[in-house]
Amino acid sequence: MAHKRPRQFAPVLFVAVAVLALAACGRQYPNSTFDHTTDFNTAVDALWDRLLLLGTIVFVFVEALLVYTIVRFRKREGAPAPRQVHGHAGLEVAWTAIPVVILALIAVPTVRTIFKTQAKAPAGALEVEVIGHQWWWEFRYPSLGVVTANELYLPAGRTANFSLRTRDVVHSFWAPELGGKRDLITNRTNYLWYTPKDSLAGSVYNGFCTEYCGTSHANMRIRVYVVTPDQFASWAAHQKTPAAGSLASATAGAARIARGLGAAGVAGAPRAAVLPTPAPAAANGDGYVFPREQLPRHAVAGTPLPAGIAFDDALLAQGDAARGRDLVTNLANLGKAQCRTCHVIGGEPSLLPRGDDDAKGPNLTHVASRHTIAAGVYNFDARTLARWIKNAPAMKPGSIMPPQGLGEYYAVTKSRMPVGLTDREIADVVAYLMSLK
Amino acid sequence: MTTAAAPTVAPAEAASYAPSGIWSWITTVDHKRVGALYLYSALAFFIIGGLEAALMRWQLARPNQQIVSAEFYNQLFTMHGTTMVFLVIMPLSAAFFNYLIPLQIGARDVAFPRLNAFSYWVFLAGGLFLTVPIFFNVAPNAGWFGYAPLTTRPFSPGLNIDFWVMGLQILGVSSLAAAFNFITTIINMRAPGMTLMRMPIFTWMSFVVMFLLILAFPVITIALVFLLFDRFFDTTFYSIAANADPLLWQHLFWIFGHPEVYILILPAFGLVSEILPTYSKKPLFGYNVMVYSGIMIGFLGFGVWAHHMFAVGMGAVADTIFALTTMLIGIPTGVKIFNWVATMWGGQLRFTTAMKFGIGLVAMFTIGGISGVMHSSPPSDLQQSDTYFIVAHFHYVLFGGSIMGIFGGLYHYYPKLTGRYMSETLGNWHFWLNFIGMNLTFFPMHYAGMLGMPRRIYTYDSGQGWDTFNLMSSVGTALLVVSSAIFAVNFIRSRKRGAVAPNDAWGAGTLEWSIPSPPPEYNFAEIPVVTSRYPLWDLKAPEKTAGITHSAPDELVITASHAVPVHEETKRTTAKALGIPMPVPTAKPAVAALGLLIGFTGLLYLHIGDQRVAIAVAVGGVALFVGALYAWLTSPLE
Repeated sequence: MAHKRPRQFAPVLFVAVAVLALAACGRQYPNSTFDHTTDFNTAVDALWDRLLLLGTIVFVFVEALLVYTIVRFRKREGAPAPRQVHGHAGLEVAWTAIPVVILALIAVPTVRTIFKTQAKAPAGALEVEVIGHQWWWEFRYPSLGVVTANELYLPAGRTANFSLRTRDVVHSFWAPELGGKRDLITNRTNYLWYTPKDSLAGSVYNGFCTEYCGTSHANMRIRVYVVTPDQFASWAAHQKTPAAGSLASATAGAARIARGLGAAGVAGAPRAAVLPTPAPAAANGDGYVFPREQLPRHAVAGTPLPAGIAFDDALLAQGDAARGRDLVTNLANLGKAQCRTCHVIGGEPSLLPRGDDDAKGPNLTHVASRHTIAAGVYNFDARTLARWIKNAPAMKPGSIMPPQGLGEYYAVTKSRMPVGLTDREIADVVAYLMSLK
Repeated sequence: MTTAAAPTVAPAEAASYAPSGIWSWITTVDHKRVGALYLYSALAFFIIGGLEAALMRWQLARPNQQIVSAEFYNQLFTMHGTTMVFLVIMPLSAAFFNYLIPLQIGARDVAFPRLNAFSYWVFLAGGLFLTVPIFFNVAPNAGWFGYAPLTTRPFSPGLNIDFWVMGLQILGVSSLAAAFNFITTIINMRAPGMTLMRMPIFTWMSFVVMFLLILAFPVITIALVFLLFDRFFDTTFYSIAANADPLLWQHLFWIFGHPEVYILILPAFGLVSEILPTYSKKPLFGYNVMVYSGIMIGFLGFGVWAHHMFAVGMGAVADTIFALTTMLIGIPTGVKIFNWVATMWGGQLRFTTAMKFGIGLVAMFTIGGISGVMHSSPPSDLQQSDTYFIVAHFHYVLFGGSIMGIFGGLYHYYPKLTGRYMSETLGNWHFWLNFIGMNLTFFPMHYAGMLGMPRRIYTYDSGQGWDTFNLMSSVGTALLVVSSAIFAVNFIRSRKRGAVAPNDAWGAGTLEWSIPSPPPEYNFAEIPVVTSRYPLWDLKAPEKTAGITHSAPDELVITASHAVPVHEETKRTTAKALGIPMPVPTAKPAVAALGLLIGFTGLLYLHIGDQRVAIAVAVGGVALFVGALYAWLTSPLE
């Protein structure tokens, strides 16, 4: 009978909710908004706790009242007609006034927290510029001369003050474990700051774009490494200089060729078609990089490689970095590989920033120091990199990077690429990029 | 309580007035038939929007799946939202406005019957404009909220957004026309003695909705005109190259968008307020407060819009203001919940399917309302916004609120519409599968959201902590699909097989239950004089209304309107036999709507092919519209 159901159902419902609640308290939630990792999250979680407490009280009260009502007053045979009550002024006042009180209990800490979290960032904060692009993140540390992409290093214990800009559509920057989100709005600059606690050093967090920004919005992910201040300084110092595998390391005066931030770039490249060979890459780079083998499960991408890109992985072992470098940096090869059109590699004169500072693609100076490519979607390894170069849009829907593989299908032109790199050449380019540690 | 004897003749045979055939539907100006058209169309769109959701949930059931491509998924989530908001909940509400308001106020039709038909045909045109593209893989794909600059041509060069802009623009015409129509109807055409505070509560909530429509829709009309002109005529309202501020779109959209959600919920609130008293055998508790709270919600609803923008960086002061106004609007809403519980308290509750859905709304809307209050705190909202926590909230209020209320209304009013009851057995299955399915689908989303899952993503990686919640949601969706199928079967079968229903199918107190089921074309053979809020209870169960004020309008009014005391009408005849002039059926509203459709299609063609062909088609459409309008305005109504 229908009217018996509510009584049987209520305990089932309660147990289900309780199970879910307990499940959520586990430690296998690497993107939780509840952890007290930063000043922001601590303040907001306190607010959340109050919201949850009051919400639960209201929920239990109202639903219990409802369940009681439908059980107690179900129609009984032979019962007299019910009293025809049309209203009660006192009750109306009471159940208007009590919610006002409850809302006041929410409003006061809310307003306090608004002003606290939107105050100016504390002095001495680390300035981080975040520039959103479809569908990748550009990160700059202006005070340190560092430009990188998609992966962010932060020193534990120091406030990070993010300034947020975009040149295309609206995006939103969010690392749930660290703090709230803030939108990147075209023709505006927004700000967001929080301070990762000292104890966080050695942690890796994921982040996401959280404002729908087009085809690969789901693939615009962020990686944050919170490290000790010393590790951070080492990382930053290294990131600022050209990579060992680049030309600048090989020639004298490498330190003078900065990657520059908004500097009017070198418009052309050395006249010679053949460039001097760089010295062999220094062993494993000089700067700190978060050790790959210590990456937690949630920081290892699980995206499978798309089936439609054929590549003979055996070629990768034979990839020659010097040939790869020539393909990428030698202007004579522009007909084959168009990396220069969008990317910057510090230390390579033909791939320095040109004109305004509107980057079209991620800065690749130390691309091999990153653990992911395609904005957090794939793990960084030779197999993945080869396929990415061969046909980026097939790896990441809508990607603005055209396929570089000769004969690869490109949805935008609805045809196969008439120019490009052979698989062998891709293997060489991969070897070169892997040397940019 | 006495009910009139059930008619011995099944309603379909007795309804000799009801013309049949497609042409009769195209030319109808009868509010009851227009209501039926809205109903069937909306249910068809419900199936489409539901399938879109089912595909999305299939894709998201496991991480890293490739059931649908990213591009198609983005079309699916856009169309699911657009369809459910504009092509399902709004027209389902319109079905009830159309069918019920004249019957509840004792009128024979709406103030402007031909405009009413026009509203429907324009709605259908807009619905087709929005829906057909998905079958050609060019459906709108920038979200139901279409933020600029993503929707500007540089970032959305295809036809997708053109369809979206035009479809919504067309729908706006439909809604505005209907709103003016019903405001005029309610103000002018109430039965003698029916003061505003004696109107049935559903009519009151609808009245508030009409004002929300005429104040909110012009704002999105402007926003869309700006976007249309940017996309077609190279203006620069949202052009980032011209240094436009994307927040212009956001403000305009949400100044419309927030009142829109009250447009979506208030009719369901009205239906539940009719349902609960009927099956509790008690009047609605706190009628006055229910009216005032509905008005407050409508009014305050215009002051909260930027709570959709807490992440855009408006500054601490703006965030604070909108946080406080948002919290404030929770009060009149909460008051309604308590009044509904108080309505049932002390009653003799009959758990018909309609009642179950009514109670379901109260239970589910409470949850949605609580999460809504949680969003009202901007710092916490910076963790909630654009995550599945928000998705959970609005599905609780829209599915658990609007849809459940509307289902309840369908079971409650089906006997009035068709003369037969829907099956209570199938209704029971529908309700429970719906209730369980809804909770299983949407409750886990609260967790997924607060544990970091963003919205509007076509896939997610494994190991992020979201796998189980997503699977649960997808299983729940399967239950919802089954429950909707059961409803469809019940709806279709009961037309011929349901138990025959009398005038007063449930023992309710308002005027629509005093006339035959289904009503004759003229609704009331004789307009009744109303002396209280529950005219039928006054007649059949006066003990129920002893506690409220009664009075009759003066003699002059009664004489002038040829009104008689409230009575049950059992005779079914034609308007002609009774000498009642009825509006003449005409195809002119449909033709005018067709002209509008052709005009917009011509405009769209500017982005497809030859400019001259496009202009010719557009001009032709406008000419057809103007011609039909002229013919319509110069031909008599009756």
